[in-house]
Amino acid sequence: MTETRGNGAGMRRILGDALLSASRPAIAIAAAFVVSAGLILAVGANPLQAYAALLAGSVGSKASLAVTAVRTTPLLLAGLGVAIGFKAGVFNVGSEGQIYAGGAAAVMVALMPLPLPGFIHAPLAVLAGFLGGAVWALLPGYLRAYRGISEVVITLMMNYIGIYFVSWLVHGPIAEPGAPYPQTHLIQSTARLPILLKGTSMHAGILIGLILGVVLYIVLHYTPYGFRLRMVGTNPDAARFAGVNGPRQILTVMLISGGMGGLAGAAEILGLRLRLFDFFSGGLGYDAIAVALLGNSNPLGVIVSAVFFGALRAGANRMQQTVGIEASIAVVIQALAVLFVIGMGFRQRARAKAKRQDKSARAAVGAQSVGEGVQAQ
Amino acid sequence: MIDLAFISAWLAASIRMAAPLVLTGVGGVFNERSGVFNIGLEGMMLVGCFTAVAGSYFLGGVIVPTLLAMLAGGLLALIHAYLTVSRRTNQIVSGAAINLLALGLTNLLMRRFFMAERVRAALYPVLLPESWAKIPILGPILLGQPWIIWLAFILPPLAAWFLYRTTWGLSIRACGEHPEACETAGVSVIRLRYLCVIFSGLMAGLGGASLTLAELGYFTQNMTAGRGFVVLAALVFGKWNPILVSIACLMFGAADALQLRVQTFGWNVPYQALLVLPYVLTIAALVGFVGRTNAPKALGVPYSPEEE
Repeated sequence: MTETRGNGAGMRRILGDALLSASRPAIAIAAAFVVSAGLILAVGANPLQAYAALLAGSVGSKASLAVTAVRTTPLLLAGLGVAIGFKAGVFNVGSEGQIYAGGAAAVMVALMPLPLPGFIHAPLAVLAGFLGGAVWALLPGYLRAYRGISEVVITLMMNYIGIYFVSWLVHGPIAEPGAPYPQTHLIQSTARLPILLKGTSMHAGILIGLILGVVLYIVLHYTPYGFRLRMVGTNPDAARFAGVNGPRQILTVMLISGGMGGLAGAAEILGLRLRLFDFFSGGLGYDAIAVALLGNSNPLGVIVSAVFFGALRAGANRMQQTVGIEASIAVVIQALAVLFVIGMGFRQRARAKAKRQDKSARAAVGAQSVGEGVQAQ
Repeated sequence: MIDLAFISAWLAASIRMAAPLVLTGVGGVFNERSGVFNIGLEGMMLVGCFTAVAGSYFLGGVIVPTLLAMLAGGLLALIHAYLTVSRRTNQIVSGAAINLLALGLTNLLMRRFFMAERVRAALYPVLLPESWAKIPILGPILLGQPWIIWLAFILPPLAAWFLYRTTWGLSIRACGEHPEACETAGVSVIRLRYLCVIFSGLMAGLGGASLTLAELGYFTQNMTAGRGFVVLAALVFGKWNPILVSIACLMFGAADALQLRVQTFGWNVPYQALLVLPYVLTIAALVGFVGRTNAPKALGVPYSPEEE
């Protein structure tokens, strides 16, 4: 991609590609809204009224925008993690578990009454969150990279181990005694992420996400590491011949991907929930797959897609309050958008891919065609 | 504390916990043996639960609601089959989206149509007289159970016979190992995969129906709570063999029933340790600590008939 810069035809092609890659998710999302309008009609409400409430609840006021930002944060961080995995042909479906692990690690640091100012304590807790997520991705990453065992099943299994690990923590070792729900004490005030907009719950997590989105974009497209990463994802054979250490590349990508999931958990705990409790994520890790996919696995695209889904979730709550349509319509819209986007013209890429498929790719259950299939959109 | 009554009750609960897993697992074996990965089992079960309860609430009885539940699971599976077999999209993404769709739809419709969240529906009847249930061991695990549970004992051997002793079964296995060879032998890989995926949807719907209508009779938000993923674990742990997969499901069901007892009796064991058992064992199996695990070679690989 970079080699065509500065060339008029190349510029046009890049712009054309960007338009094309953005148009498919846009059409899919539009189609999802149309189908969901039918559903809203079917359950006896006015879709226009419902969508107006959705819009008002997501971008209609300062408070709504703040809610959108809060809802966007974990989707963005975890979505970036899934996306960078996609780019390297690694399918990290373990975001959910990594969110729990990151949340747990962050809360451990955040509960400690350290004699530190907020600008050190909070970043330390955030870092712990990243490490927690990375640790959760270590086993699947190692097994995929060095033993050729599919990361798909392992990361799926690690999800539930993470969920129950946190459940155990908040029932026993770090439970708040006598609390009505299995949870920890509130975290130290020095470990909280600062509130960006006074009077709202909009915390600094969104900034971390936006900055990391841009950083990941630059790393992917303008550094040798990013080049090798994309090469391993699109053509592992060529990468091997070019002397790229594939296994190491895959392991590091998996650790970064897991770490991003961990950050999502940390931001959720340190910025919004302020304590760890049972089942706090409730499927954010699976939403992250949808976010990465509709963002075309491009970090900048993921920012757009995360903001979109964050707004959808924020607006859906308003819709439930004012029009009486259950907020879960947002989940339906999201699911339909994914189904439509993958249903539209994926086929050619799959065919091109099949030609290149080597045995190692076959060994990786379900992982094939993700790297470029997702990029191709 | 541990006496015969405890063991009987635990066995009975284990079987009831395991039956939905076994029924879903039998379908899952076919689906994965044919070469398609299906993490959408969770959503298909959930839709099965919902449809069974809704069907029983609006139409009454259990037979028609059960068939409707299977149909609902089958419809979701048809989407999965179309996307993964015909369109050759990524099987994980498709499955994950199906899970989301099932979760969103059931929530939406539940709140809309069942004013009270806990509508009681008809339950599968226990066919044998109550005295039979008192027979030790056999009573609690089999004779005193509603008939849907019996299916969980009947179907795995049937599935194993079909898979290992019939030409169709051979084709399915070949289709997941070496689809090109299968096609060369005149078997349509596409058609076979469609059939297997849809069958697994039907069975997941049945599993969902058995989850609600065997004992509870109501639907709650996300009531499958990851059981579809336990089935995925059992498929790996049971080496894609219907009998072994069912035994794995029984083990995981027993662990689930035990953790409920650990909670109620307040034993000093973290009950979460029992809940993670399926996942830890499955990872151990994949890594090679617990025997060798050989996935069907073409599992997860889309088949493109146009090329060699």
